[in-house]
Amino acid sequence: MKAWLRYSLCIALGLIGGVAFAVHQVRGGLNDGRISNGPWDTGKSFGSVDASTLTRAKVALSGLLALPAKEAMYFTATRDSAGRALDGRCTYDVRGGKLDGRWWSITLYEGEGWLVKNAANRWSVPASAVATDAQGRWGFMVSPTPQTGTWLPTGSAKAFDLTLRLYHPSPDMISVPEKAALPVIERKGCA
Amino acid sequence: MMRRWLFPLVAGCLIALGAYQATLLATPYALMYTALQKIGQRATVNQFAFASMSTADNQPIVRPSPDLSYSSCVFDLSKGPVLVDVAPVPGRYWSVSIFDARTDVAAVRSDQDTNGKPARLALVKKGQKVAAGYEPVILADDRGLVLIRILLANPQEFPTVDAIRRKSTCKQI
Repeated sequence: MKAWLRYSLCIALGLIGGVAFAVHQVRGGLNDGRISNGPWDTGKSFGSVDASTLTRAKVALSGLLALPAKEAMYFTATRDSAGRALDGRCTYDVRGGKLDGRWWSITLYEGEGWLVKNAANRWSVPASAVATDAQGRWGFMVSPTPQTGTWLPTGSAKAFDLTLRLYHPSPDMISVPEKAALPVIERKGCA
Repeated sequence: MMRRWLFPLVAGCLIALGAYQATLLATPYALMYTALQKIGQRATVNQFAFASMSTADNQPIVRPSPDLSYSSCVFDLSKGPVLVDVAPVPGRYWSVSIFDARTDVAAVRSDQDTNGKPARLALVKKGQKVAAGYEPVILADDRGLVLIRILLANPQEFPTVDAIRRKSTCKQI
């Protein structure tokens, strides 16, 4: 094989391989190489100049216009507390206590982060929608079928993720999110 | 045999590294450009667009929050600074954030930062004059996005919040 052909082949393969690997990593979702706490994953550098090129590209794809941690923290769960992938055909009990911030909500998304069509037209559960007991504990159900109490529908999504938004988190939450008390996601059964 | 392929393989590896980095660097700019084009269809440049609440049928950007009302202004500083005046909505969380062309947050101010008073920001490039009474936000690129988020406790609050947020302005001087 002639030299120019060898160079052309290697350069073309390098170009395709480099771009393909970058796209694969960016499309890997928001959970890679980040801080984990139970089923939840988060990062500290969203929206900031401190973010790595990979984190910035991932956030641009799956969470464009995210705020920095001082303003809001985003925790994403693609698995339940037992480590099983969240499945739209299953019913989950999501429960927790007081979250260390000013306001929170949990939103259900499919794919790269789209709200799911459902008959109840409900896509999130904000703090104001759940009843809390004397200890500040609360809970709601995630399910494809109507549930008693607060219910977040999975619609027709086969796989989904939950995003917990915590606005104006406390300094402790920002500095050590891996030690924060975050909600539990327990699978109760599948259709 | 191996010697004939050594330099082409090294060249291929270097190109792969460069292509990997270039793709990562270009991705935020490309996605922000697409978002600005999409959001820009709702209002002219340097003017707020007041979106209805996000639903499964109304998702202008990825991962929207259905609990927040969004107002956005695609800005362009090529012809001069842009002034942003945000009307406060009492008794609730609201914030205004400035995103640059690379998707980084250049500034964010919330109701806590302003103690419930209006937020007044001047978006400028280096060397442009800042209007009196405005907090400067210096940007490297001409284009970007202003985004106001306002928390609603329930959807019934939307008409009241909508009337207040429409007092916010984004304008070139």
